[in-house]
Amino acid sequence: MKKKIPIWLGTVALMVFLAMIPFFASDYWITLLVLIFIFAVYASGWNLFSGLTGYTNFGLAWFIGVSGYVSSLLIADYNLPWVFAWPVGAVFISIVSIGVGYILLRIRGVYFAISMVALAEGTRELFGTEYLSPITHGGKGVPFVAGIQLSTLYWAILFIAFISLLVCYKIASSKFGLRLVAIREDEQAAETLGIHATRDKILAFILSAFFVGLAGAIHFTYQNYIDPSFAFSIHLTLTPIVMALFGGVGTVFGPFIGATLFTLIHEVLWAELTILYMAIFGGILMALILFFPQGLLGWMKEKGILPRIRKI
Amino acid sequence: MASFIEILIRGLMLGSVYALVGMGLTLVWGVVGIVNIAHGEFVMLGAYFAFWAFSLIHFNPFLSILISIPVFFFAGMLIHRRITERLIKEHELSALILTFGMSILIWNLAQFFWTNTYRSVPYLTGNFPILGLVFAKSKTVSFGLAVGITAALFFFLKYSKWGKAIRATSQNSEVALVCGINTMKMRMLTFGMGIALAGAAGAIVSLQWVIFPQMGGSYVSKAFAIVVLGGLGNIQGALAGGLIIGILEAVVTQYLSAKVAQIIPSVTILVILLLRPTGLFKK
Repeated sequence: MKKKIPIWLGTVALMVFLAMIPFFASDYWITLLVLIFIFAVYASGWNLFSGLTGYTNFGLAWFIGVSGYVSSLLIADYNLPWVFAWPVGAVFISIVSIGVGYILLRIRGVYFAISMVALAEGTRELFGTEYLSPITHGGKGVPFVAGIQLSTLYWAILFIAFISLLVCYKIASSKFGLRLVAIREDEQAAETLGIHATRDKILAFILSAFFVGLAGAIHFTYQNYIDPSFAFSIHLTLTPIVMALFGGVGTVFGPFIGATLFTLIHEVLWAELTILYMAIFGGILMALILFFPQGLLGWMKEKGILPRIRKI
Repeated sequence: MASFIEILIRGLMLGSVYALVGMGLTLVWGVVGIVNIAHGEFVMLGAYFAFWAFSLIHFNPFLSILISIPVFFFAGMLIHRRITERLIKEHELSALILTFGMSILIWNLAQFFWTNTYRSVPYLTGNFPILGLVFAKSKTVSFGLAVGITAALFFFLKYSKWGKAIRATSQNSEVALVCGINTMKMRMLTFGMGIALAGAAGAIVSLQWVIFPQMGGSYVSKAFAIVVLGGLGNIQGALAGGLIIGILEAVVTQYLSAKVAQIIPSVTILVILLLRPTGLFKK
């Protein structure tokens, strides 16, 4: 028990420091931190489901895009304040995910990954068609202003990132997390041991959808713009996966480390090499799979630098 | 208003090209066990190969296929030998993420070097009428080429010694190894063939539609729909699946809109995986 107090103190001190940042830092740094936290929630949300259950979600952009569209349209067309629009978007995608998860999570392995890509791509095309344009404004996109201060946005995403980290931490050290890992290792064996695999998978899927959706809603409010090809872009699926892979799939803090590092890399490379930047990302993804599949934290656990516990 | 027969024929011609792409994907997936998301990018590279050969040295696009097939074949073998063979024993999702990275790498490099300009190969333009129906010349010749390549692939797999060895590797890699088949070589060969099929399809595509760096995405989604329709590793199924997707696309484009036709592959994948995950045709 003695050891725990400094960790909690450290966490509180870090949170207070991060919360104070808008009072002294410039807008540039706040913007950068906002992006870091958004992508940290994406990456840890992806990891929460895919890292623990082993079902690779290649349609993360679907969570982001649907929730982003719902909240953006509520703000743009119905003048709903962002405080309500964001949770509505996230709750909407969570509810839709119950149905989608129930249907799609019986498909395993590569087929699940492909069906998620198909879902994201199909929804993107659907949102761009002329038949849905009375609701979605078609392919030309929706510019809107939510009337939110940058510092307020920063505090909101900071709070959500903190909650999602806390949830991941709690899940990793819970029996629920252990059941998810059992599903990843051998789903049939897990079921014979009495684990209700479908229920646990769907629950993890919904949790992932909720946090990623919430961050997605904030992402588009921050951009003040949404359109189908941006909201469902492959980039929004790829980047969080690279971040989670780099930090360590199935770890709690790995996705946050990956998100911080890659957002900074993005910031440096984007201005210099706008087009090559994506190519470099693809190359990094290949190299990670070939040479560094366990990720940074996985590697540190293997080498004994970090204790081999699920809480980290 | 085009007659229904004309739409059907248009669909068949489209489908013959899609089938080439789908057969390459299903062959590699079934025999090598690698799901190549970058497959569409090789279609794109094949199209650019034909485009540059035509626009730089005015090389006949139909003849340039004869060169691009061996080039893509060897490139594919090299990629498999150096990169994907390492992942054979890993979880199949590793290969999925790796080829996803490869796909991003290739199309962004293409965008970097060749820019986003829409390009096309202006060869054999114009139409000719048969029995009151009007056909585009380039599409008709392309259709013939696609059929020829498909037939050659069938004969190779069915009757040649290597084709037999490839089918044996696909059915049971370990038993094939015990029977004295060099399964590693067969996997390399198959990967090369898959890439060569994609490259050939790309060359044919370049004659009919515009080419640009991101075009691979739409072909790979169609290819996945075809594989799912035909059943994994089933070449005949992929041929039928390709024709089905082509006809569906032509019909939907005609009666609804081209935008809606873009949704067909996604819907097909989802519906087939849920209702009949082994594909329409049982092996």
